[in-house]
Amino acid sequence: MLIRSAPGTQTVAPHLRRRVRWVVLFIVAALALLVARLWQLQVVRGEEYHQRALSNVVEERRIPPVRGKILDREGVALAENRPAFNIYVKPHIVDGRQKNRLADLLELSADERARASARLRTAWDRGERGSVLLLEDQGRDRASLVAQSRLEFPGVQVRDEPYRTYPKGTMAAHLLGYMNQLTGAELEDKEGRDYVLGDMMGRHGLEKQWESYLRGQSGMEQVVVDASGRRVEDEAIEQTLIEGPKIEPPLPGRNVVLTLDYELQAAAEEAAAQEAAASIAVTEIDSGRILALVSQPSFDPNVMTGHLSRADERRLLADPRRPFVDKTLASHYPPASTFKAFTALAELERDEDASPEEAISCGGYHSLGSHRFHCMGNHGGLDMREALKRSCNVYFYQLGERNGLGRLSDVALSFGFGAPTGLGINADVKGRVPTPAYYRERAGFVAPGHALNVSIGQGDVAVTVIQMAMAYGAIANGGKLYVPQVVGRLESSSGETIVEFEPRLRSELDVSDRSLEVVREGLAMAVAEPGGTGYRGARSEIVEIAGKTGTAQVSSGRGQPEGEYEWHPDRNHSWFVGWAPADEPEIAFSVLIPHGGGGSQAAAPVARDILEAYFADRADISAHVDEQGGGEAEGEGHGGETARAAVRDGDEGARREGGEL
Amino acid sequence: MKLGDGLWMPMGVSRWHRFARRFDWPLFFLIALVAGLGLANLYSATHATAHSGKFDSHAVRIAVGSLIFLGLTAVDYRKLQRFVWLGLLAVVGLILAVAVVGHASGGATRWLDIGGMRLQPSELAKLGVLAVLAHVVHGYRSGEVSPGASVLLASLALVPIGLVAAQPDLGSAIVVGLIATSIGVVAIPRVWPLFAAGGLGLTMLPVLWDYLQPYQKQRWLTFLDPSADPTGAGWHTQQSIFAVGSGQMTGKGYLNATQNQFSFLPEHWTDFPFSVWAEEWGFVGSAFLLAAFAALILYILYLALRARDEFGSMICVGVAAMLFWQLVINIAMVLGLAPVVGVPIPLISYGGSSLLATVIGLGLVSSVAMRRHDY
Repeated sequence: MLIRSAPGTQTVAPHLRRRVRWVVLFIVAALALLVARLWQLQVVRGEEYHQRALSNVVEERRIPPVRGKILDREGVALAENRPAFNIYVKPHIVDGRQKNRLADLLELSADERARASARLRTAWDRGERGSVLLLEDQGRDRASLVAQSRLEFPGVQVRDEPYRTYPKGTMAAHLLGYMNQLTGAELEDKEGRDYVLGDMMGRHGLEKQWESYLRGQSGMEQVVVDASGRRVEDEAIEQTLIEGPKIEPPLPGRNVVLTLDYELQAAAEEAAAQEAAASIAVTEIDSGRILALVSQPSFDPNVMTGHLSRADERRLLADPRRPFVDKTLASHYPPASTFKAFTALAELERDEDASPEEAISCGGYHSLGSHRFHCMGNHGGLDMREALKRSCNVYFYQLGERNGLGRLSDVALSFGFGAPTGLGINADVKGRVPTPAYYRERAGFVAPGHALNVSIGQGDVAVTVIQMAMAYGAIANGGKLYVPQVVGRLESSSGETIVEFEPRLRSELDVSDRSLEVVREGLAMAVAEPGGTGYRGARSEIVEIAGKTGTAQVSSGRGQPEGEYEWHPDRNHSWFVGWAPADEPEIAFSVLIPHGGGGSQAAAPVARDILEAYFADRADISAHVDEQGGGEAEGEGHGGETARAAVRDGDEGARREGGEL
Repeated sequence: MKLGDGLWMPMGVSRWHRFARRFDWPLFFLIALVAGLGLANLYSATHATAHSGKFDSHAVRIAVGSLIFLGLTAVDYRKLQRFVWLGLLAVVGLILAVAVVGHASGGATRWLDIGGMRLQPSELAKLGVLAVLAHVVHGYRSGEVSPGASVLLASLALVPIGLVAAQPDLGSAIVVGLIATSIGVVAIPRVWPLFAAGGLGLTMLPVLWDYLQPYQKQRWLTFLDPSADPTGAGWHTQQSIFAVGSGQMTGKGYLNATQNQFSFLPEHWTDFPFSVWAEEWGFVGSAFLLAAFAALILYILYLALRARDEFGSMICVGVAAMLFWQLVINIAMVLGLAPVVGVPIPLISYGGSSLLATVIGLGLVSSVAMRRHDY
């Protein structure tokens, strides 16, 4: 040893020599301890730490799939994807202070700040190690701000990813739906099903219903990253560090091709825009396929998809017209006079004695005991076709009395009322057909007045717009009640058809074609002939329309507001339902203008505009229809038909979908 | 005194020969070996990062440091003995100056800007305390100073520890304290009272706890339970252990330390250079580095026994302690055996003040080594 061999120079005290020997021992022991620790870390556990260090730098980065498009029947995109800048953070690197500095840098609004904080908190709670979406769909300026400050913000990165977009804006918004981020609870639910924190999912309409087909499957890419999560793009480094496949491409989602006709939808939306609110369904007579489905007021799914501010949300929720409710499927309304077609069919199918030619006299009211059920006019004697044309209440009160509530409700149920249509989206509420059992349970007895109210579609009858379109379609096509169909086929992302969906018959109605023909004639007359309820509002020079107006009373009639087009919750609901062309039916339509006033005034012109748009191309231009005939339209006066029985607000059955925001 | 009258020895050719013959080459080679490893490691730790300039400045500092080392070698350390109190006073002055005009960084004020250079007086405090204690021991052993006065002077020499701790620079304060303790353990004839005092000091720890800064408390708590703070200090320890462990037996090869290249460790050129080394050179290289360091320290202790006088002997003991404690504390931290404290490895870590203190210390040792042949 060094010390022992030291030749004596006696300047050094002897005790020093002894002490230094101990010190040397101490030093050697301490360093030996360090070497032992090194052995433990590097040799004993070396392999484990090697793997840990590798997983530090090799990150499995998820490549989100491209969501399938939603297309109209001609391939016009109604929902597709565009590139967007998404800002991701690594929650184990970014702390609260950094988040705040980032928020300051990007000048986030209070809303955005709150949302970002909530997401980060969820990520912290879950102990996420990977990147988590902090802010989606950011502008180019914010993206470049983050990119420029990347040294200052380790663990923050911008990725260029597909983002859902709805090129037609608010069009068919309820049908299409929208997307937003999964909540923490939903994520727990979908654990292991290819959903990660920050993922979006379909929230409404078709986006929700077809989520699993539209979504696709995410891919995986292995990248080398530094401690800040920044990608190290060095071929050599990647080759030495990455094991296995570098990239597993994502599988894009399926395209959902609708039966919707974009141009007709656009025309319907435009026509509906004249009103404060509207609900419209247009279907193919011989298949039940939906060509247009409108619910207004609506929302912009582009805003709903990640850009809904609290202020917007509050405004939408506070709107008394309930923009979030799909008025074609999620609300039911009293059908009013549109129901008379089914009362007529109940009578015609009653027995051999029933005759459409039988004349009934209308004196302006119908007496039941001491009570008078009023008509809107004094129609004199009229047969069934004429009664349908002029919508005479007294005539149908008579039929109601004759057939009774049981028969009326049986016919209504057979036409699909009182049950979901089977479309399967946005609640698809069943409405209500009051049967004798219904009143027995509710009132304890069945009064003759119940049948009278139901005979003209008031009382407790409630239907949806889509049910009405399907039922009138069945009248027009000879008794085939279809399940409404909105998805025509699924195709691959490259456009090859995967599944084609056939029309589905719901039931073949047990109604003779002779009976249906009577109703068809009556409803054609209602539009074509002066005095018909739809003559003024729906008669078109382009296409012959058959249809039935309806004016569903909302309140007792008191407080009917002034002003034609002003939204007022006390105003009557306006219906116009039918098909066109009148003699060779192709399409059925159901137009409801909630609180729009009289059926002939609000709904009928809207329906006419839509049908004219549809048939304009097909109309034989050479067969120019002569000038507008005698403008003397009688029919319903202001306020439409009324029945004394109070009708509750039709929106009653609406299911609020606010919870899905 | 054979070496001329002035402090500075004019060197003619014949003097150069004499200098070269008396120069302690083993010491020089051991220092050069460790410094060379440090320089190579620093290149790997900073290359291809925004900090690659640190390698250049460290290389320049090594060159300047060599001149300081040679200059001090040429000076008889005994001539410097009379300046030790002045030196300590200067260090205390600098530490106080830091408190007034110092440069704050990371929650503590430790730096002084001098003509564009940043000086960390706490590093020089290590040296100042060491030299004064060596001087006190010398006075006591030679009988010039009474035991009671020696104790008084020695306590006076410990004032800077408190000042450094108050900066707060706990790491440096601990190192200075350990250097002083080491000299005491070697020099004091009856050493058990010192251990008793140390034991008493340990019982005072809970009281001292209250004086720690929150981040310091955090570091200790994290050390006791690394998973308590997986994003902060605990994360660094974890990453450091991953780095060292992933080096395995023979390492990933020079310039291939992914943990460090991809900045999983902050400031790894000052606090975690050993983790870079261990990742790249593995167990074999790590053991070699420790062996080289051990050889240097033990050789300096060997010189302590050979020194001409008590002062030179204690200088050697003090410098050996300075090297040893900083090395052990830093590496224990890197290996997860000690909390994260800012103690650099002499000659290996990047940092001008630390390097300056180290080369001055080693220069003194070299001077002692050369003078041992003087009679």
